[in-house]
Amino acid sequence: MRKSACVALGLGGAVIAALAAGSAMAGQELGQPLPQRAPEKVYASVCGYCHGTNVGPIILGRKLAPALIKTMVRSGMNGMPSFRPSEISDAELNDLAVWIEKSKANPKEKGK
Amino acid sequence: MSGIAMDRRGLLGAGVMGAAAVAGTAMAGPTGEGAMLAPGVSRGDLAGALKAMRAVVGDQWVSGDAMAVLPYAKNYLPDPSGRHRPVGAVCPASVEEVQAILKIANQYRQPVWPVSTGKNMGYGMTSTAMPGQVVLDLKRMNRILNVDPELCTALVEPGVTYQQLKDYLDEHNIPLWIDVPTVGPIVSPVGNTLDRGVGYTPYGEHFMVQCGMEVVLANGEILKTGMGSTKNPSAWQAFKWGYGPYLDGIFTQSNFGVVTKMGMWLMPKPPVYKPMVVRHKKVEDLPRIVEAMRPMRINNIIPNVVLMMSAAYQLAMFHRRSEVTQSTAPVSDAEVAKFAAAHDLGMWNTYFALYGTEGMIAESEKIVRGAFAAIDGEVMTQEQMHDNPWFHHHATLMQGGLSLEEIGLARWKGNGGGLAWFAPVAPAKGSETQGQIALAKQILGKYGFDYTSAFAIGSRELHHIIALLFDKSDPEEEKRADACYRELVTGFGDQGWASYRTGVHAMDLVAQQYGATNRAVNDAIKAALDPNHILAPGKSGIA
Ligand SMILES: Cc1cc2nc3c(=O)[nH]c(=O)nc-3n(C[C@H](O)[C@H](O)[C@H](O)COP(=O)(O)OP(=O)(O)OC[C@H]3O[C@@H](n4cnc5c(N)ncnc54)[C@H](O)[C@@H]3O)c2cc1C
Repeated sequence: MRKSACVALGLGGAVIAALAAGSAMAGQELGQPLPQRAPEKVYASVCGYCHGTNVGPIILGRKLAPALIKTMVRSGMNGMPSFRPSEISDAELNDLAVWIEKSKANPKEKGK
Repeated sequence: MSGIAMDRRGLLGAGVMGAAAVAGTAMAGPTGEGAMLAPGVSRGDLAGALKAMRAVVGDQWVSGDAMAVLPYAKNYLPDPSGRHRPVGAVCPASVEEVQAILKIANQYRQPVWPVSTGKNMGYGMTSTAMPGQVVLDLKRMNRILNVDPELCTALVEPGVTYQQLKDYLDEHNIPLWIDVPTVGPIVSPVGNTLDRGVGYTPYGEHFMVQCGMEVVLANGEILKTGMGSTKNPSAWQAFKWGYGPYLDGIFTQSNFGVVTKMGMWLMPKPPVYKPMVVRHKKVEDLPRIVEAMRPMRINNIIPNVVLMMSAAYQLAMFHRRSEVTQSTAPVSDAEVAKFAAAHDLGMWNTYFALYGTEGMIAESEKIVRGAFAAIDGEVMTQEQMHDNPWFHHHATLMQGGLSLEEIGLARWKGNGGGLAWFAPVAPAKGSETQGQIALAKQILGKYGFDYTSAFAIGSRELHHIIALLFDKSDPEEEKRADACYRELVTGFGDQGWASYRTGVHAMDLVAQQYGATNRAVNDAIKAALDPNHILAPGKSGIA
């Protein structure tokens, strides 16, 4: 229903995706489980605390392959902890890996 | 009263050798190369239990094959024989699912190891004290059930991270602080409190500010502690003690139940917050610092958990070992002192903060400055230290701010990410420190490891927090770290300095230091509440 209404209004797939991402950004309400988080939010609440603060290497703007990112997240390499699907869901991780691959370097981040 | 439990303990965990020989049925295939089964559990039992659990939570939330178990196998601790690797994981989303899983565990005698967020880093993460366990991963149960801005309380599920709680408070403009351990974003109030962890605001002693629990017992029954099971449980998060024996304590650092809800108190944001550091230049200054600090903590002039950070620990957070020394021998005080001085650090850096109104803080600051002037301490504030990354780090923590910077410790020595916390406790007296430092250096030195430590004063006690940092990618070094840790436990234990907490690799060893009667009582409670020993056998040395 919603999709056809959007199409009828002439909205393209990209806009629908953006709307979906927007709702994923919504915060948590009392008594509700944490909703799926957008990649920006996952990055800011997990990855960015180490990558970009001199603890882990810089990963933004490096065109890292999504498959590599997913392996690193699930296995935890060297000093990095691993992250389980219960912490970062497969759906969140898929989006996150693509988002990191496509990201631009953030000049505010520190490290190598 | 502990006959069966004693046998189990002997069978399961008195030492790696015993357990490996008796319980260590190597198992390739579904649960990973070389995975060991729990004693008395066959491959068929494990497979049957996992299958039944799939029917409860859905296929995607049970891990049984090697790939799916991989995220649960990560562990900073030394585990040369791999006996702490779990054989599977199950992730319930509700209390009812937890009950159903425990029923299955009882039916197949398959032990499960509950974790909330499973980030007990340097104590075991999601690895288990004894072999062959399935991780009961509660991270999906991540609802914030209540926040009361008037009583300043919260009720949360195990999977709620400090990040989630902070986001919720911020998004709803609720002026309450959280209190975090050093690694707040990815860990949880429930997991941290149940392991009796600490943070650095005036609410830093987490079990002290815990109020009310819901616990699923091994037989599936639900216990609500404190006021939680009265007809009107509105005081559940307001009054800790309820009536009769106080039960919450037996569910911390234990394996007597699965905590599915926990109440906690939150600190109102104070009008003014003033973080400070006092620098001392000599290692030998520590006893004087402890003597000066104790009365100010007991009188609550300084209201938060105080950290006295050694320069070596501070350097290990943000620098690599190779920047400080080229030697393979333990880093020397002289090398540390030189590097520390160049980075605006003392040999001891004592962090604390004042909280309240301008007037209250001004009064307390006078007392604090007087106490440290008498022992040649250099008292520094935000204005003087704003560019200093260590000050910034501690100023963040002492107001419940989120950071993971300290994970940098895990790469001080090589890339392998080896870290084991050793945390013996003593009374907060200066005279206790020197002997401890000498003993730590002697044992660490014997095995070739650096002395990277901090001391914390909670109130009347002194925690000596030693980060045993090693390169886990080097198997020989991993073995050496394992042996070193054991000698730290026994060497300190012989002097009466027992640990307040330990990793899954040393739980039985530490339990031995608390005496036979203590162990027998724990065994009796275990036998009464979990007769099939399906909950986390080995936790705190309880089989
Ligand atoms: C650099 C660094 C700094 C650290 N700083 C601190 C610090 O300042 N203070 C501190 O306390 N710790 C610190 N830690 C240790 C640790 O990471 C934290 O204590 C963390 O909060 C524990 O992980 P968690 O919250 O995910 O708990 P979990 O791993 O979920 O739980 C810990 C244990 O408690 C038991 N348990 C958990 N949940 C349940 C349940 N629902 N029912 C029954 N039993 C349960 C289990 O035995 C479990 O293994 C630090 C670690 C590192 C690497």
